[in-house]
Amino acid sequence: MLNATRPKNKTIFLYLLIPVAMFVFTVFVPLITALVYSFYEWKGGPNKTFNGLTNYIKLFNDTTFWQAFGHNIYLVVACIIGQVGIAFILVMMVNSKLVKFKTIHRTFGFFPSTISAVCIGMIWTMVYHNKYGILNWFLKAIGRDDLTQVWLNNTKLVMLLVTIPLIWQFIGYYMVIILSAISGISTDIFESASIDGANGVQQALHITLPLIKNTMLVCITLCIAGNMKAFDSIYVMTSGGPGTASMVMAMYGYQVSFGQSNMGYGSCISVGIFVLSLIVIGGSQALINRATKGKGED
Amino acid sequence: MKKRQAVSVVLAAAMVASLGVTAYAEESEKEVKNLAVNDLAYTGELTIFHYSTSEESEGNGGSDGFRSVLAAWDEAHPDITLTQEILANDEYKTQIATQAAAGDLPDVFLLQGMNTVAWAEQGLVMDLTDIIAESPYYDDYNTAYFTPFSTSDGSIYGYPVLTGGTCTVVIYDKAMWAEAGYDEFPSTWEEVEAAAEYFSEQGIDTIAFGNGGQWQANSDFLSTLGNRYTGPDWFQSLILKDGAAFTDDEFVAALAETQYLFAETNIFNEDYNAVTNEDAREYYIAGDAAAFIGGNWDESYIAATLLESDEEKYNNMGFAVLPQPADATYAPNSQNIGLGYAVAFNANLADDPDKLAAAIDLAQEITGPAFATFVGEYYALGGLTVVDDIDLSAFDQITVDFYNWSYVDTETCEIYDSYISSAVWDVLNTDLQTLMNGDITPEEVAANAQAAYEENY
Repeated sequence: MLNATRPKNKTIFLYLLIPVAMFVFTVFVPLITALVYSFYEWKGGPNKTFNGLTNYIKLFNDTTFWQAFGHNIYLVVACIIGQVGIAFILVMMVNSKLVKFKTIHRTFGFFPSTISAVCIGMIWTMVYHNKYGILNWFLKAIGRDDLTQVWLNNTKLVMLLVTIPLIWQFIGYYMVIILSAISGISTDIFESASIDGANGVQQALHITLPLIKNTMLVCITLCIAGNMKAFDSIYVMTSGGPGTASMVMAMYGYQVSFGQSNMGYGSCISVGIFVLSLIVIGGSQALINRATKGKGED
Repeated sequence: MKKRQAVSVVLAAAMVASLGVTAYAEESEKEVKNLAVNDLAYTGELTIFHYSTSEESEGNGGSDGFRSVLAAWDEAHPDITLTQEILANDEYKTQIATQAAAGDLPDVFLLQGMNTVAWAEQGLVMDLTDIIAESPYYDDYNTAYFTPFSTSDGSIYGYPVLTGGTCTVVIYDKAMWAEAGYDEFPSTWEEVEAAAEYFSEQGIDTIAFGNGGQWQANSDFLSTLGNRYTGPDWFQSLILKDGAAFTDDEFVAALAETQYLFAETNIFNEDYNAVTNEDAREYYIAGDAAAFIGGNWDESYIAATLLESDEEKYNNMGFAVLPQPADATYAPNSQNIGLGYAVAFNANLADDPDKLAAAIDLAQEITGPAFATFVGEYYALGGLTVVDDIDLSAFDQITVDFYNWSYVDTETCEIYDSYISSAVWDVLNTDLQTLMNGDITPEEVAANAQAAYEENY
């Protein structure tokens, strides 16, 4: 019966060919061409000269690039704690019996992730504005004028300040993923746990977390991948400044490619971002697997 | 029901008609004169890529003139389909750089001075030296404007376009400075520092400046301040690769002065590195700052805004050159002025002589007397072609003041980033922001810029 309704292999192949071709053309081909260009000195235009590993040697010694990489790692760590961590806590709170209007909480929690990154950048630029911003206004209102400052010009704080909007924006996104995973857990388990006297925190840590381990892993991977290519809201808020104090890798690649019209080295930076992202994602997964090995199963 | 439908149809028709009437009225208000309509053999499509959007043209004379002359030319040549691709300036720069990288430039486009050498070397833009020399308007061209679009061998790659405007003007509120005891804007930074004490007590910033985009400190400040220290020969030598270096003492001194003025004194608004020029000029408009430093585009915005909202403050607008530092020895009355873009052609146009002839005609008209008359009569501005006897009597005092300040009463110097290479300025601009925060030494900034210069130019 199954075989009777199953289309011919050729038909399946033909239908699949369309998305595969699109994927290859939009993702794979640019990746390969970037790899090829990264071996050339190419300042835009038709003339390219092959220069071997020169770009890669330059990349290896480029302090701005490694500074940007450090900023990306900062973002990753802060966002795993901030986005995934806070999302998990909020989900536990929303799921608690004490909370009313659950749908409203869920909807509003998800709201920021639907706003475009450029708008988020502009909103938070206004929040941080030293003359008209709500942050300095609040500090003045509570009598702490001494703490008011030009927030986005503070080299030491600027990375934290551009991370906060990112966390705020994506908490709702991870909330939705975690919520859907939790809804798959049978309520019997929680009921028997509460009969046994487990409180909310114990339930969250010892029942929910181990059961949604795989979903949390997906969240963490998404979070790392997302933050390794962070660009838009930071670009709007600081353009990487002051100087390079909030420069991230993708922005540096963009600046070199388009601001300095150095397409060859820009391609090299893109390849660098790709390789480093793979290493960070692969490394973090190996680390998590190792840390959780043996746990949850027994 | 029927009656209601009829009424809505009538109302809609009236609305459409009124739109048509206003549109017609607006267009007929400013007339394009002196357009030479030549017979052109070419029929077909001609693409032009530029950044004079309709929003930009409101209040910006250069944009308005460009759009108007372009529309008039299009109308005068019905056999040619003129396809315009228009983006705002920031997006335009990215888009045209991408198209240049792909070797896919439009027929006619606007070339930025600092890309000239690189794109000419790549064979992307057409050498127009002989074509420009044959232009019927050549005798009326202000040939100084061609330098950013020339290479060291003297070849020229574009017709400088839009209006010549300063990149560094101090706009100040005469009434506020009179209260502080100054009849006119101080000519030295020491005096400005003294004035800053007075204004700080009032809770007002002395000068508003915005370097949030990182290019402003270069275009709207250092380019003029540097000239005061190095003199014009140094920059010429840098352009011609004739021995000058960013690490020369004179230039380092200019960087040190910049750092001192921003990081050590309280002259400027404290958020100068976090806000853009668009934000900073609002501080001036709102009266939170007694002066503002920016380019002609800021002047036109401030003037237009004040004229509508606060006529008294508008009439108090004064214009000054950057004050002179105590240890600088050159040109205390200088300001950097020029044309940042030129009409350039895709090198492939040479394959189609008729199309090339059409493009030449177009370029000559949008930079020629038709354009110059338009911006002169309606905006008191000048472009590549000099037209005599601009009648300024129709303009108010502020417009005349700014015209005289821009074109008559001051010395001129070069705009740094119209020359050399974007790769050099991008490195310098990033460092400048750190320098102004006091987190890097002038020597390091100079060394980084020099390294980028040697590698990319």
